[in-house]
Amino acid sequence: MSLLSVSHLKAGYGPINVLHDVELTVEAGEIVVMLGANGAGKTTTMRAISGMIGRSGEVHFEGADIARATPDAIVRAGIAQVPQGRGTFPELNVEDNLRCGAYIRSDKEIDADIDRWFDVFPRLRERRAQRAGSLSGGEQQMLAIARALMARPKLLLCDEPSLGLAPLITQELFAVIERLNREMGLSVLLVEQNANLAMHMAHRVYLIETGRIVASGSAAELSADDSIRKAYLGF
Amino acid sequence: MKSLVTIKEGSIGHWVLRLLAAAIVVAIMLWIPTKGSNGLVTSATEALTLMSAAMALNLILGYTGQISIGHSAFYGTGAYVTGILVSKYEWSPWLTFPVAFLFAFVVGVLVSFPASRIKGVYLALVTLALALVFPNLLRWPKLESLTGGGPGIPNGDSALDTTGFNIGRRDGQMRNFEIFGWDPFGDLRGQGAIPFYYWIAAGIAVIVYLVIRGVVKSRAGRSLIAVRDNETAAAVMGVNLVATKAFAFGISAGLCALPGSVTAIRLGAVSPDIATLTILGSLTFLIIMVIGGAGSLWGPIIGAALYVFVTDRTGGWADDEAIPGVLRPFFGWSKIPPGSGIFAVILIVLMFVAPRGLVGVWKQYSPRVVRVVPRPAGVAHDAKPALVADTTTNSTPEGESE
Repeated sequence: MSLLSVSHLKAGYGPINVLHDVELTVEAGEIVVMLGANGAGKTTTMRAISGMIGRSGEVHFEGADIARATPDAIVRAGIAQVPQGRGTFPELNVEDNLRCGAYIRSDKEIDADIDRWFDVFPRLRERRAQRAGSLSGGEQQMLAIARALMARPKLLLCDEPSLGLAPLITQELFAVIERLNREMGLSVLLVEQNANLAMHMAHRVYLIETGRIVASGSAAELSADDSIRKAYLGF
Repeated sequence: MKSLVTIKEGSIGHWVLRLLAAAIVVAIMLWIPTKGSNGLVTSATEALTLMSAAMALNLILGYTGQISIGHSAFYGTGAYVTGILVSKYEWSPWLTFPVAFLFAFVVGVLVSFPASRIKGVYLALVTLALALVFPNLLRWPKLESLTGGGPGIPNGDSALDTTGFNIGRRDGQMRNFEIFGWDPFGDLRGQGAIPFYYWIAAGIAVIVYLVIRGVVKSRAGRSLIAVRDNETAAAVMGVNLVATKAFAFGISAGLCALPGSVTAIRLGAVSPDIATLTILGSLTFLIIMVIGGAGSLWGPIIGAALYVFVTDRTGGWADDEAIPGVLRPFFGWSKIPPGSGIFAVILIVLMFVAPRGLVGVWKQYSPRVVRVVPRPAGVAHDAKPALVADTTTNSTPEGESE
């Protein structure tokens, strides 16, 4: 049984349908990357999975049907999302941002978890009492990831984490995601336009085009296909 | 930024500073009713009710980011609940406060449901409609038996009877309350119980402040700010937007009803013509909150004090004789006191100079004198290797916003 399996997913905004028939799976412990151009439906897929917009079709998480669940129920089920752009709360300080990430939790280990992510992201510990809005882009993206992890998710959805970041910072960010996957067994579904970097860490890749999955396979398979390589990878 | 003094958060120095600030506030609150003139006490009572309402509005607008121009209706709800229960059902005025809170809470929650689907200007319009409908609802003939219609519930035999507040009443007469010759409540026998009303307003202001402080500093408060700062991110953290907004609207409306009840008690009458029950009230609360500083605990307090100070000082300025010499050419053009006009100018200037209000100015400049350094985070774990190399270091300098 897959951790996440999506089939016949249709979603959109009001009368406009963006996703026509999206089909994808994420196995436990996998990093799955979804590539696509602007407007292909990457963010919409993320929002549909996390319940932020109206959708139809089947979405199963750990065998349970979450296609009609509310966003907070989906977070409780174990899916956390790093939203697109600087998804932090600029007026709250770094620590309170992390506490917001643990909003669904009421256990006693929240402080210990904050400490743990401060170990992983030492820059955040230094800036603990600073407004999140005063952090650099890279730091904010780290904060957004740490905050999502505060919910102790089984699956992390990352919506274009490289957006607006310098290539070096992006590389570093992806390295962190890879290590989280390797060391904690965190499953990740990541959407990207930045194909080259994302392909390196992906176990499997999906290509999405105008609301439909048009190709899928391992990173090696997809980059071996000439037409795909030319169209999406640009080399 | 250099500062003269640096104090660690939670250190003895920090506590001394906090206690000093609290002592100054308590001293001012005690000084006004004991040493101040009747005029000053009345103004302070006015300021206390306005600041309570502005604090309540601050919870929904400053902290949750949901515009409301309908808070005069919640304020009026409180005034009428107290007015009706005391005059028609002979309740003790004290008992009407919780009822006013609950009633307005329910109204606030109901308003929040359409509000949770709309944003910005549209939400402003819906709440504006609430403010405009409310006085007309009070005048509605079918409700006249309850609300008294246009004239409202007048001051008279059947009116709100403030002698219902009979602390230590003997022989049906109110007795003056004295501690060692000090009577903080003033002369309770006559209608001149001005300091008594002051204390009611002060008590309500303290309650409203403490409730809002408690909410804002809690997990729920963080979720409100999260909704304001980034609604999508808040939702994917598991914050239920509809429930959170309903909670914020309910508490905000309920708290706003309390100063309304105070007004009913103080005036001994309610009517749809009281300015704070109309759209003017909503705008006053809004202006006070914005000038003081939206999204800060002290903003509405400072804003209300300044508002009442300015409107009082300029209350007679419609008459040329009352205007100080230098200012005479600028004022006295119409027969209306220029208080709100002056405040409008202050508002426009502040929006350019200090968009975060007076508290924002304080937060910007006070660290030059005293800076409170936050506690270091948790325990340092030097032994563990960090997953991330320390290269993400192009952030803006501390304390500077983008």
